[in-house]
Formats: sequence, structure tokens, C-alpha cells
Amino acid sequence: MLLIPAIDLKDGQCVRLKQGVMDDATVFSDDPVKVATHWRDQGARRLHLVDLNGAFAGKPKNLNIIRSILQEVGDDMPVQLGGGIRDLDTIEKYLDMGLSYVIIGTAAVKTPGFLHDACDAFPGQVIVGLDAKDGMVAIDGWAKITNHNVIDLAKRFEDYGVNSVIYTDIGRDGMMNGVNIEATVKLAQALTIPVIASGGLTNLDDVRNLCAVEDEGIEGAITGRAIYEGSIDFAAAQTLADELSEA
Amino acid sequence: MKVAVIDYGMGNLHSVLKSIQAVNETGADIFLSRDPEAIVKADKVVFPGQGAMPDCMRELNSYGLAEAVRETTQTKPFFGICVGAQLLFQHSEEGDTPGLGLFPGNVLRFSANLTDAAGERLKVPHMGWNRVYQTVSHPLFAGIEDGERFYFVHSYHFAPADAALTLAESEYPDRFSCIVGRGNIFATQFHTEKSHRAGLQMMKNFLAWDGSV
Repeated sequence: MLLIPAIDLKDGQCVRLKQGVMDDATVFSDDPVKVATHWRDQGARRLHLVDLNGAFAGKPKNLNIIRSILQEVGDDMPVQLGGGIRDLDTIEKYLDMGLSYVIIGTAAVKTPGFLHDACDAFPGQVIVGLDAKDGMVAIDGWAKITNHNVIDLAKRFEDYGVNSVIYTDIGRDGMMNGVNIEATVKLAQALTIPVIASGGLTNLDDVRNLCAVEDEGIEGAITGRAIYEGSIDFAAAQTLADELSEA
Repeated sequence: MKVAVIDYGMGNLHSVLKSIQAVNETGADIFLSRDPEAIVKADKVVFPGQGAMPDCMRELNSYGLAEAVRETTQTKPFFGICVGAQLLFQHSEEGDTPGLGLFPGNVLRFSANLTDAAGERLKVPHMGWNRVYQTVSHPLFAGIEDGERFYFVHSYHFAPADAALTLAESEYPDRFSCIVGRGNIFATQFHTEKSHRAGLQMMKNFLAWDGSV
């Protein structure tokens, strides 16, 4: 299982939000490129970027920083990015810059046709990000809970040809109180594409617990606050995950 | 028709079972089993496997299933997945483990110093979607394009001593055998149950297969 360090970009800085609230940001670094190379050097095999300003604006807002990150580490590991991706031109621009995967979240829920077009135009490079609370999909930076059941929606999107699903349990993200394994596994079991868990990873027990259900189709887990605050040593956690997933 | 999915306590087989049920158009009875008698009585057998091969082999023996697996491979349409494919070989480098020895050859670890064409380091485990190139024609490839993507998670790969066993290859970065088979046996290194359309199509083909090539 891959552990995927997250770099959330706000105003050119690397931050973490609590529960998706923009004004509740903790700044971890004002040099996101340095943070990216740090995770690479710690043995990360994929990087997760979020353009928070972009997500709120509906268009890319941290292009220069993202370009610099891709120049620095894009050849060393696949990089995935979400936030503000609402049209095919933006996707093309990012992929041309060296991004491996785009993550489409709210836009996929609001305009499924766009997700479908993106999957057709960029096969294998589109990941859908679904945030959910109590099984229902949330959009707009978690401000709104829809009446879409997360499993039903994910199944529809897998038929479009998405590469994988990032599942964020929004009751947990940034709260450091454990991964919602049960909900993540339930989704993975319902799908025939991989699921990446997100939200709540706190300690090595969470890593162990996720590895125990990896064969349900859990490709990786995104980790943010825990590796920045030090409750998880990234390199040790990835080593542990690799030991637990031999085959 | 009865299809047994062999459950020897290695991991959760829900995904595997569900993916086969999803393409069950003929009302086949698809079930998990660790009962050797039920398994040898089934019409078809799926042999999954997850985790480390030494653990898989130990569990297989502890349930007394090794013989049942051998017996079903003699005549029944048989589908091995991941470690379930690796176990068919003579030996694995993983924990220096003897396999079932149905196919000549060994299971080897990817080298620690792999690089791609651009000189970039490739990591082990090999993880993610990768293209599968068919080296022969086979009934289980019906409706699946040559070079189609399937989902892999593995650090070890099988190296058949008999080249005729290889039915398809993938690249990481060198070509390696990723589907092997002979007669009624078909086995993949990748996870059909996480390979969406292509994986489902392959399983659908398996349900329709009479075991002849």
C-alpha cells in the first residue's frame, strides 16, 4: 500500500486545514517545493497536491508553485493534484507540465458529463475524489451534503473509466482520530477499481489496519497532518506498509 | 454450474467473489469454500491469494487444501490470481518457499535496482495499472484488447522455465510473464477483481470457458 504525503497549497504556502475550513489553516511551510523534495527523500512513491485557492476559485491559483514542484520531483514519482479543475484545457495544461493524475471532486458531482469527457480524453489519468459523511457525498469544500449515496455515485464514475477513487471521510480529516476503515472497505468492496483512503490517518496502527484490508482494493492512503505533526514517521510507515504487502 | 473460490484464510475474498458474481449471467452457484470435498466437486475453481507466499503455502497446507488444488488443476477450468498464480510454480524466493510445483519455474523478486528507459528508478512493489500484452491467442482474451491495462500489486513475479506457459507479458521495465496457463489452467499476476472492465471481461470469459484452448 502506498502512503501518499499531501501538500495542501494556500497562498503559496503549505498548510493543513481542519475539517476543510479555509480559515482554520495551520501553516507548515512557506516552501512547498522543499516539502515535496523532503517527502521524496523520505521514500514517497506518490505525491498528493491540493490547490486550495483553486478549489475555492474554480480555476488554478497556485500554478507557479505547482510547476516548480513538478519540475523538482515529477520525474521521481507520480504526482496527483486536485482543486479548481473544471475544464479539459486545465487538465491538459497540468498534464503537459508533468502531472500524472488530475483529481476531480465537486465538479464530478455537479457536472458528471465533464468527468466523463475527461476520462475519454485522458484515459488512465483521471482520479475522482469523493468526500462523504455518513455515506452521503459532500461538495463545495464540505459545505454541502448532497443526497447522492457515495457508493452509487462511485460505481457510476467507475463506468466512465476513472483510474481510482480517493475516498475522504469528512468526519475524520484533520481530526487525527483514526481512519474510517469500515466505510472505506465498504466502498472498495463495491468497486472494481482501486480506492485511496484519505482522512484520519494518525499512527502506525492505522497503517497496519489499512494494510490488513489492502486486498479489498485499497491502493494507498493519503496522509497529511500526522506526518507534519510527527505522529507518523513517514519513512518508517511506508517501510511497514511494504513489509505487510508483499506478494 | 458450481464455481468454488478457494478460501484458505489469506485475506478477504469479498472483492474476488463479488467481481465474479457481477458477471454471472447464467445463474452459476459461486461460493467461497475451504472444504476440499466441495472444491473438487465444483465445476470450476478460482484460486486467489494475497500476502506473502510462505504464509499462503502454510495456510493452504493447514487446511489440507494443497491436494485439492492439485486435483482440480488436472481437469477443471482453473483461474489463479496473484499469489494463487505464484503458488503454481516450483519455488519462490519469498521466504525460500516451495510451491505446488505444477508449473516448472520459480517466483523471483524484482531487482532492487530497476530503472526505466529515462534512467529513473522504478520502485518495488510494482503497483498500479499496467499494460498486458498477449503473446498467444486464448479464449479468455475474448473482447479484451492487446495492451489493455490491468491492476498490479506485487514485489515477486513468476519466471516460467517453459516459455510456452506464458500467455501474456507486462513491462517493468523489462518484459515479464504476467499470465501463465496450460490447457485448463489460467493464472494472472494482476488482480482481475480490481481491473474494472477488462478484469470483469476476463472473468466473464472464464465463466463461459470449457477449459479447452
